[in-house]
Amino acid sequence: MKPAHLQAVAGAPVVLGLLVLTFGWHVSVGVKAVPLATVADALLDFDPEVFDHVVIRDLRLPRAVFAAVVGASLSVAGALMQGVTRNPLAEPGLLGLMAGASFAVVAAGALMGGGSSALLPLIAALGALGGAGLVWGIAMAAPSGATSLSLVLAGAAVTAFLYAAVTLLHLLDEQTFQNLRVWLNGTLAGRSPEVFWWCLPWFAGGLALAFLLARQVTALAMGEEAAIGLGVNVARIKLLALFAVVALTAASVALVGPMGFVGLVIPHAVRLLVGSDYRLIVPYSAGLGAVYLLAIDVVARMVLAPVEVATGLVTALVGGPVFVWLVRVRL
Amino acid sequence: MTRSVMVELVGGRLSLALLVWPLAVLVLLACALLLTGAFSLLTGSYGLSAPDVLAVLRGTLPEAVAGTVVWEFRFPRLLVAMLAGALLALSGAILQGVTRNPLADPSLVGVSQGASLAVVSLIILAPQADGALRPFAAFAGALAVAALIQAMSGARTTGATMRFVLTGIGMAAFISAVTSTLLTYGRIDGALSALGWLAGSVHAAGWNEVRALGLVGAMIVPAATWAARPLGALRMGPEVAVGLGLAVSPARVGLITLSVAAAAAAVAAVGPLGFVGLVAPHIARRVAHSGPGLHLALSAATGALMVTLADLIGRAAFVPLQIPAGLVTALMGAPLFVALMLRAQSRQNL
Repeated sequence: MKPAHLQAVAGAPVVLGLLVLTFGWHVSVGVKAVPLATVADALLDFDPEVFDHVVIRDLRLPRAVFAAVVGASLSVAGALMQGVTRNPLAEPGLLGLMAGASFAVVAAGALMGGGSSALLPLIAALGALGGAGLVWGIAMAAPSGATSLSLVLAGAAVTAFLYAAVTLLHLLDEQTFQNLRVWLNGTLAGRSPEVFWWCLPWFAGGLALAFLLARQVTALAMGEEAAIGLGVNVARIKLLALFAVVALTAASVALVGPMGFVGLVIPHAVRLLVGSDYRLIVPYSAGLGAVYLLAIDVVARMVLAPVEVATGLVTALVGGPVFVWLVRVRL
Repeated sequence: MTRSVMVELVGGRLSLALLVWPLAVLVLLACALLLTGAFSLLTGSYGLSAPDVLAVLRGTLPEAVAGTVVWEFRFPRLLVAMLAGALLALSGAILQGVTRNPLADPSLVGVSQGASLAVVSLIILAPQADGALRPFAAFAGALAVAALIQAMSGARTTGATMRFVLTGIGMAAFISAVTSTLLTYGRIDGALSALGWLAGSVHAAGWNEVRALGLVGAMIVPAATWAARPLGALRMGPEVAVGLGLAVSPARVGLITLSVAAAAAAVAAVGPLGFVGLVAPHIARRVAHSGPGLHLALSAATGALMVTLADLIGRAAFVPLQIPAGLVTALMGAPLFVALMLRAQSRQNL
């Protein structure tokens, strides 16, 4: 076997083990600490008479699942963006996709009074696509072209504008948006399972597409000329990657609101571990992204207990310094 | 545009060449500011006619309510909007000159966020503290963050200006998250008062803020007059500035401190108003090219006009709702920022 395959096989149990451990930790921590043995019982041998089992099944388990799925999705989306655009600072939050999705969800709420949760991921996807298109268009029109700098600056401007617009809509109609206020910081608390089921096809489709594209993205990450030389249809791969990124980001935003920097931190960490082959980066980003967001959510719930910090704030607290470090090292 | 008038003072020993067009623009801006101000005094939920307002300002009260409305609410609010806008624009103009970075802005590079964090900490952690402490807290916070960003982006090498902006964006995200976390932690009344302030609004401004801003403004004006000369030299690059006999590092430190002080005073009074410090100097430069001193004056006038207009729009657009001026400046400023980015020369290539 080639070394890369060896690494993949050797690393997979470690990542899975970590995932199971963090998942169990996440479920056991809370206002009332539940021992891990009870957690295992609740999952494997459910007894509706035991109060702890009900708490875990109905409240904590969904939250842990959401955290794992969103963490995996955002990390994979960030990895794809960094590979396809060859830009170390690419990330759904930085490049306007999250702001676009948030704005679309809020605007749809203002126009249609809430809307059904079936449409929510679609609306978010349209918004994310619009945000990405706007940022990309502005950066391409800049004299220097779509460099890391022009993309991040365009992303910052579009994000500032869209969040100001969101706040404006918020002020105009405070009644409708009482719930959205928390959602806008990115939170895993009290998300409805109904929305999750509607988002699930988007998550699954986006992740599947990302896994299928991994091989060609590796070629693209070496440069467009190299990719063409290797027989990759560059335009098609870019378009498919955009679909995957938009689907993953939109479903994440629709479910838990904007969570910044997850897609920046994890792929870079993964690259340090497994190198530059996207056939390894994509699955490892998914696994470690899930572990990361589960751990972050535990921190968000514990650090100021009994008050809960919005999870999106904690991801920014970790991600901001990582971003600064990347600017120092990579630019 | 190149026409100038010679002004001879002290019997011909001191002569100044003044460009006609920038001076004309400055006068025009002042007129526009006066007009907007007058309009702003007339606009509001309590209907007042122009003679009423004039009578109040002259001190002959037609009725007590009108006097209160104009003198206690609208007039200080107008003055605070003007002063805060002028200070932010000055801060941005100086920062752009020192860093030779056209995209430098107190809110983009974390100075506003540093000030915000300090003020929110004060509101949340020490709710009983005197409001007069706010400007000092804001100044300390802003200076600390500015120094941190400057140190982390490394001020010497050529790519440094871009790193400065990117580092600022990262720091801004981090500091905003800390501020929001503090809001989660704090008691609800403190958090609500801090939230209102964070939106960047002049609606709560009173004579206390006018006094504070006026005092800072009075100190900044002579300092800015001093700043014009080193700014002009630094604009041509550090090597040229050294050749012109400027002590570069002390001048740089002094100018950045000045810029931070101006921004901190404005932020402490009205909260973070985005994009004013970025856009106003560029508008000033587009309408009239001039020397650094006059450019500072033009920027200040433009900034004052921007914030006054933003406040007027925020009050008039969705009556009876009041939109914070900070939102209006963000909605106006972000597209202008993009326009600037598109025009920025390719020398900022990474």
